[in-house]
Amino acid sequence: MNNEFLWRNQMRKQAEAVDPARDLWPAIAARLATTTASRRRSRRSQIGWLAIAATLVVAGGAGLTAWRWQHAVRVPAPVTVTEIRPDAGQPVASTTATAPELTALDWAVPDDPALAASAQNLDNASAQLQDALEQRPDAVFLVGLLNRTNSMRLRLLRKSPNAS
Amino acid sequence: MHGAALSMNVRSYEVPLGADDNALVRRSVAGDTAAFEQLYRGHVGRVHGAILRLVGMDRARAEELTQDAFVRAWQKLSGFRHESAFSTWLYRLGVNTALMDLRGKHEEVAAPDDELEFAAGGEVPFCAGERGDLERAVSKLPPRARAVLVLHDVEGWKHEEIANELGMAVGSSKAQLHRARGLLRRALTDR
Repeated sequence: MNNEFLWRNQMRKQAEAVDPARDLWPAIAARLATTTASRRRSRRSQIGWLAIAATLVVAGGAGLTAWRWQHAVRVPAPVTVTEIRPDAGQPVASTTATAPELTALDWAVPDDPALAASAQNLDNASAQLQDALEQRPDAVFLVGLLNRTNSMRLRLLRKSPNAS
Repeated sequence: MHGAALSMNVRSYEVPLGADDNALVRRSVAGDTAAFEQLYRGHVGRVHGAILRLVGMDRARAEELTQDAFVRAWQKLSGFRHESAFSTWLYRLGVNTALMDLRGKHEEVAAPDDELEFAAGGEVPFCAGERGDLERAVSKLPPRARAVLVLHDVEGWKHEEIANELGMAVGSSKAQLHRARGLLRRALTDR
């Protein structure tokens, strides 16, 4: 037991701080600079992707707005049907109805420059995102962006008369 | 070479910082490398000392691992929650860096515990002679046995902590310590 005490006492005396023989700070500082620069590059890259995301949202929004505008223009004016009572010869009531709602096949024509341009933008963005995903398959936010882009593209496709 | 390591730059274990560390940590997290340099200056001795003992007084390797430890500390600093002293956090990170290096080498084939008991001879420790002799003998131990001995007998860790860090059972940690002490006793008796 005495041996144990002496042993532990002697071993604990070795637990001293030992400075390195040379100053390690310059090498550490150089590595920190590299780390910081790499972190900044990564942050810039994320900002770049956010910019692409913002562009996609704007492009998609513009496409949808264009589609809605076109839809609004092409919706037929309300048709008023006047019912005339045979006995009075006076119109007593009128009902207003609109033409049956236009389907996408009616107004999303493929040669529409606004829709075609939006679709092209979305396709380009989708291709870029797929390239980026090949480089960074672990980037979850890219998957989200790609899904969103494809969803917008699908919505445009559904508005297209060629949709099957 | 090891003899030179034994007599170099040994200093008191206590770190003259403490309360100021928190402010320096906050500045470092904000990207202030000058603040981090102050932390380095204040704590490098303790971190390097522990790493040096764990790598068997290999000065060059210890310096590399000390650099790695401070770079990792810089990268992980934002995760430091101020729940423990910064010196403790940094020291554990330094030890962990050395142990990761040890785990990555796979130099040593793990032996069954009963074989370790046999190799150790089952005797209680002893009072060694010169400090230099003891350090040299420790440095020649197999890496895992040395790590357990240094962490338990020198750094004062519990077997549970050692087992957790080295990914082994508590019984294996005890057996490795027993083995290391036996090998040391033999080395010091034969000198």
